This record gives sequence, structure tokens and C-alpha cells, in this order.
Amino acid sequence: MRALVVLAAWLAVAVSTPRLQAPERDAPVQTVEVSAERFTFTPSQIKTTLGTTLRIRLRSDDTTHGFRIVGTNTNIEVPKRGHGVATVDFTPEHAGKYEFQCAKLCGAGHAFMRGVIVVKDAGAR
Amino acid sequence: MCALLVAVAPGVGRAQDTALSGYMDFHYNKTEFEDGRLDFHRFVVLLTHRFSDRIRFVGELEVEHAFVEGLEEGGELELEQAYVDFLFSRSFNIRAGMLLMPVGIINERHEPPTYYGVERPFVDTFLIPTTWFEAGAGVHGEVGRGWRYRAYVAAPLNAAKFSAEEGLREGRQKGSNANARSLATTGRLEYVGIRGLTAGASFWAGNSGFEFEPRFGVPVRVFDLDARYSRDRVDLRGEFAHVSVQNAGELNDALFRQSGVNPNVAGGMQGNYLEAGYRLLSGRRFGEVGAFVRHERFDTQFRMPAGYIPLPQFDRQAWVVGATYWPDPDIAIKVDYVVQRNRSTSIAAPNSFNVGLGWWF
Repeated sequence: MRALVVLAAWLAVAVSTPRLQAPERDAPVQTVEVSAERFTFTPSQIKTTLGTTLRIRLRSDDTTHGFRIVGTNTNIEVPKRGHGVATVDFTPEHAGKYEFQCAKLCGAGHAFMRGVIVVKDAGAR
Repeated sequence: MCALLVAVAPGVGRAQDTALSGYMDFHYNKTEFEDGRLDFHRFVVLLTHRFSDRIRFVGELEVEHAFVEGLEEGGELELEQAYVDFLFSRSFNIRAGMLLMPVGIINERHEPPTYYGVERPFVDTFLIPTTWFEAGAGVHGEVGRGWRYRAYVAAPLNAAKFSAEEGLREGRQKGSNANARSLATTGRLEYVGIRGLTAGASFWAGNSGFEFEPRFGVPVRVFDLDARYSRDRVDLRGEFAHVSVQNAGELNDALFRQSGVNPNVAGGMQGNYLEAGYRLLSGRRFGEVGAFVRHERFDTQFRMPAGYIPLPQFDRQAWVVGATYWPDPDIAIKVDYVVQRNRSTSIAAPNSFNVGLGWWF
């Protein structure tokens, strides 16, 4: 009975605790620091290679922003200035360009908050 | 610094299709020689809707001065933005509807917690008439490591509303059944590739003399250079704006014939400001406190047409000193004191004391 209670508690914690998206096993990890501010991501262009897991650490210099990679399941909230860093792992599935954008309405110029992840296939000539 | 680890669960990739936000701005203004005034200056609601990953709508509706009644000067209900973006790529997109003119620092970035001072800078009031919005269409995008551009066509300013004191301010048609016989062009190139830095140049050019019979041209040009740097505790910004109004003499003559009053509109107006701010206190529990100082020069009689004499009371400068307390990054409690001077020997420029509360949600 006690084991059942412990298992239930462990499951509850495991389900409710925020976590990183697990990087692909053995994939190299490239960490990128991105700042978000009305109405800019800096850098707004991130370059990586296919097979690499991007660990993106986002920090806001003002209000709450969103970070969404179009066409993927990556969509996180970037907390307000002074309220921490949001971290997300993203492993591109193909070479090419992935656009990202602010997904939380943040002001008059919200629509300008966009950027791109450029993924090159290191094995391709 | 604590790290917030964020869950990325399946199914959260879609952004909100429709979202609502807004900002408000509440002021107490005490101008020298006048009674103090309490003014709920701005109540603004922003609305966005995403039709798809490639098409979205943004709207911004504002009530100014809390009360709107017919043609009273007391307040305004303004549709400041209402456009549809067709997003093709990072480097090329099309926008159409009610647009903010991409000129200067404040016009496209005017949420109260984003700037020091209870009121917006004078240069961003008289030379760049913020909030400056018109119906139009254009393109925008970003290339390389942080080079952004906007280029729009839009309804022009109405030169019949220009004045010696307030420059271009009353010339905005605000997309309200606007005369579009000759469309204005406007654009901005800016660099945002370094964290905290935005440096840009803007222009606006249009023919604004459409309200007279017989018609004559009043080509107007606005040129701006600006930069803003904000990192950690430091906030620095500077802006230079120049306005030229061709055929200003003919414009003054026509307005004098209409009203019997010489408006003394200048052929050139010029202004600039420098501002430095520093966050003195910073803590997650109690928020942040910053102090600032700004110096402005703004001359709406900078260059006069032949036969007209500049009015020296409108060649002005101001020192603005004050502080902002952010109990939350989205709430700003502001206080400042404005010392104004002009070149007139008989008409004094009034000083003012201002307190404001602004918030974003």
C-alpha cells in the first residue's frame, strides 16, 4: 500500500513538473542565449547544423513574451524582466529554415518580433 | 539567477488564435500659472487574431482623455492600428490597413512602461506627431543579423491644420475618410542586431496641400535619426528630427484668406533630444526604481518662408528630470518636472510638474 502511495506521488510530481524537451540521445548540444524585448529577439538569426540539439535560453528585458517555432510543437512563455529564464531544447528534423515568433501579444509592434533558425546539413556538399 | 525550465508538451505549438491586451495611462499635470488637471489620458485595447501561420490581424483601439462627445476637444476615440499581415518570409511581408507610421522611437513603441517621463517627448509630439497612424499598405521584413525595414504608402498629412506652435500635430488625417489624391511614402531602416540597441533612420514624404482652391502643392518631408540602448540598468536614447514644408508662404497666405488669421507655419522645423536613465534599485520583490534626465530642443519656427518672421516663443528647449517606479515590469509609476525655456523676451514658457500611472496587461 505504501509503495502504491509513493508511486502515485512520484507520478503526480513527474506529470506536473515543468521540464525540458529531452535532447536526442548523443546529439551535440548548442546553447544559444536569446534576449526578448519589445519588439526584438536578439539574435534574431540562429545558425545550427542538422543533428545538433539547440538549447535556447530566453530572457526578457521587459514584459512577458512568447517563443514559438512555426510548424513545430515548440511554444513557450518567456517570463517578465527579472523573473527568470525560459529554456527549451529544439532538435531540427530537417535542414532549412525554421521561423520563430513572439506568440504573446506584447505591444504595438508585436508583429515585428520574429526570427529564423537556419539549419545546415553538415554532411551535404 | 534561477532558471525556469519550461515544459514543451505535444499540442502547444499553436499560438493563441485570438488574444486581447492593452495599456492605460493616467496623469496629473500641474502647469505653471494654471490649475492642476487629472486626466485619464489613454485607455487602449489591443486585439490580435491569427488566421493561419501566414496571415494575422492586429488592432489597437484607443480612447483619449476618457470622454468623447461629437466634435468636442475633450476626447477622441481612435483606431490607431487595424491591419492584416501577410507573412511570406522573414525578409518580405505585406501589410495593409491602418498603420503606424514607422518614424522615430516612440511612434511604434509607446506602451507607458517602455519610456521615462509622464508625457512623451516634445519632439515626438510636435515634429513627429505621435501617435501617427494612417490608412495605407506596404512591405516590411528583416534581413541578415538584425537589419529591418518598413516601406509604406499612406494617406498624407493635411497642411491646412499645421500651426506655428504645434507644428505637424493637427495635420494627421487619422485614416478617417482621408484625402488620398496623392499618397505619401514613408519608410524606416533600423539595426537591431546588438542586444539592447536599436538604431534607425526614417523618412516621410507627401503632398499635403489638397484642401485649397485653387490647389497648390505643399510637399512635406520628415527625416529622423534615432538610437536607443537599454541594457541591465542603463537606458540611453537620442533622436533628431527635421521637417521641411515647401510653399509655406503660399500655405500661410491661403490659410489667412480662409480664417483671417496668419498661422505663421514655418518652412522648416527641427528638434532633438538626448536622454539618460539609470535603474537605481532593482529587486524581484519590490521592483525597480529608475531616475532620468532628458534635454530637448524643438523649434517649430526653425526656417521661415520669405516675408514671415519666426515667433521666438516657439523656439523652445526643455529639461525633464524625474523618476519611475516599476513595482512590476508592466506597471510604471512616474513623476517628473519639466523646465521649459524659449527665446521670447515677453512670453514665458511654463514649467510643469507631472505624475503618472501607466500599465500594460
